Amino acid sequence: MIEMLDHTADVGFELGASTLEELFGEARRALLMVVFEHPPEEGEEEAKIRLSAPDRETLLVRWLNELNYLIQDTGFVPARAEIGIRESSGAGYALQARLAGAPLLLEEYGWQGEIKSATFHGLKIVDSDDRLHARVILDV
Amino acid sequence: MNFERLTEYKYRIPREGKMEVDAAFYASEKILEDLEAEDYASLRQLRNVATLPGIIEPALTMPDIHWGYGFPIGGVAAFDSQRGGVVSPGGIGFDINCGVRLLTSGIDREVLERHKSRLADELFRAVPSGVGKGRKDFRLDRGNLEETLVEGPAPLVERGYGDPEDLGRIESGGRLAGADPGAVSDRAYERGGSQLGTLGSGNHFLEVQYVDEVYDEEAARAFGLQEDFVTVLIHSGSRGLGHQVCQDYLERFLEAAPRYGIDLVDRQLAAVPIESPEGEAYLRAMSAAANFAFTNRQLITHFTREAFASAGFEHRLGVLYDLAHNNAKFEEHAGRRVLVHRKGATRAFGPGEEELPEEYRSVGQPVLVPGDMGRYSFVLAGTEGAMRETFGSSAHGAGRKMSRKKAKKAAKGRDVIRELKDRGILVRAAGRATVDEEMSEAYKDAADVIEATHGAGIGRRVARLRPMIVVKG
Repeated sequence: MIEMLDHTADVGFELGASTLEELFGEARRALLMVVFEHPPEEGEEEAKIRLSAPDRETLLVRWLNELNYLIQDTGFVPARAEIGIRESSGAGYALQARLAGAPLLLEEYGWQGEIKSATFHGLKIVDSDDRLHARVILDV
Repeated sequence: MNFERLTEYKYRIPREGKMEVDAAFYASEKILEDLEAEDYASLRQLRNVATLPGIIEPALTMPDIHWGYGFPIGGVAAFDSQRGGVVSPGGIGFDINCGVRLLTSGIDREVLERHKSRLADELFRAVPSGVGKGRKDFRLDRGNLEETLVEGPAPLVERGYGDPEDLGRIESGGRLAGADPGAVSDRAYERGGSQLGTLGSGNHFLEVQYVDEVYDEEAARAFGLQEDFVTVLIHSGSRGLGHQVCQDYLERFLEAAPRYGIDLVDRQLAAVPIESPEGEAYLRAMSAAANFAFTNRQLITHFTREAFASAGFEHRLGVLYDLAHNNAKFEEHAGRRVLVHRKGATRAFGPGEEELPEEYRSVGQPVLVPGDMGRYSFVLAGTEGAMRETFGSSAHGAGRKMSRKKAKKAAKGRDVIRELKDRGILVRAAGRATVDEEMSEAYKDAADVIEATHGAGIGRRVARLRPMIVVKG
């Protein structure tokens, strides 16, 4: 579930999913919805990401910032992702993802503008009614 | 929200709960209504800032206060390292040394009007904007880039990308001391290295304007401003390099803060003692990013001068001033050396301050306050009032009143670029989305901010500038 937030100064979204991997998948989709009017849904190029973080929220911020870097700085748009997240007791969380991506085509995808960073503002991944929820604000 | 009115434009939030000191904010009645309409979210952020260790009273916001990340936009906070004062990347922002530079031209507005369209095209061609890399004819290798991070624009000026006089008209001479390229990550170099000399997008812009009204003849004369003369305002920052520096150190500080016993009421306020390995490393990296941003605006100036020449103008554009509105600097206030964080706030040193260029010392530092692309921007002068009350700080802009989503909805079925053209303002933009998001109606009226700033005595009105050409990413 993705709900775009109507934020005066910046942009953001609410996410909902059954698992952590799904939540991070929704975060990817939401980022593309912020950055493009018509984001690609398929891609021929491949990329792999490995990230770790002490907690879920930091992992989510790192994930979004890594995807943002791929889009803006390498011209790779992550159209699909297979995500695995592992929790190690005492060592935090580790993410591995395989991405299928498309080259950055600004006009075709309807580029909406740069993102500076995902922020920690009000960010908390909450477990509620067997679902995970998160609210993310991006600095534009 | 508990606050009391001190003067017509100044309010106090008394210390309570976890606050270490009082807070103070500046607002007109209209600005106060806006604060109430957002349920005082920005003032709650100001109160949070006041909880940080070693903060010197008061925690402050300027009249262009609005909601930010950790610190509110318009936030000013000074910390004393001798009292365990902290440094917080959220108090500077992701766009380290986002700032503005104003150029003067000596060109009469009517003369420019005749060549406006050609100049607009030349500027759009010469100054890279939007996503992507900078000009192919300008690249720095890692060694030269590291030199820029240490020295700011001076080496490039020596190589012909500016005039020596430009450097004296930049805050701190365009160089924050103590910068360390080694404190900047490889990812930051990767992101920012190819973006030197680019505007960016969002609310960044280059605007050709004319002086529409002069309020203070003496200061205008000192600044070289004259009615109907053309100016150029550049708004840009440290691009991907600065954003990455902030990201890198924010995370490091989140991990380190508990070790220093710092209890964060908001994660975006992540902070460590100024005199800690992490704090000192961040300040070295922040200074490097700030010098990168000064260099960025210098290069954009160079490209702008090229564009004016290509459009047939022989006048040389001069730098009136270049200042940061996201920064932290060691300054002396009331006999004490403090680290002043300005997040969407401008340094505004008053008359007599030694740091100012000699030609401005009698009137105070130029303070540049951009408005939206359809109305006006302002030039103010720093005041003794600012030195006394706000650690020498003043407002930096107008702030949004409409979300990007609402702005795009309001723009549906309209041609915003056409509307501005009908009003004599030519827009050249990398994409329509940004123009729609940045429409005038999405912004508060900068005149309201100036009324409160001038009324509070923390910035003195000098001139109003109106747009003729706007270049956006």
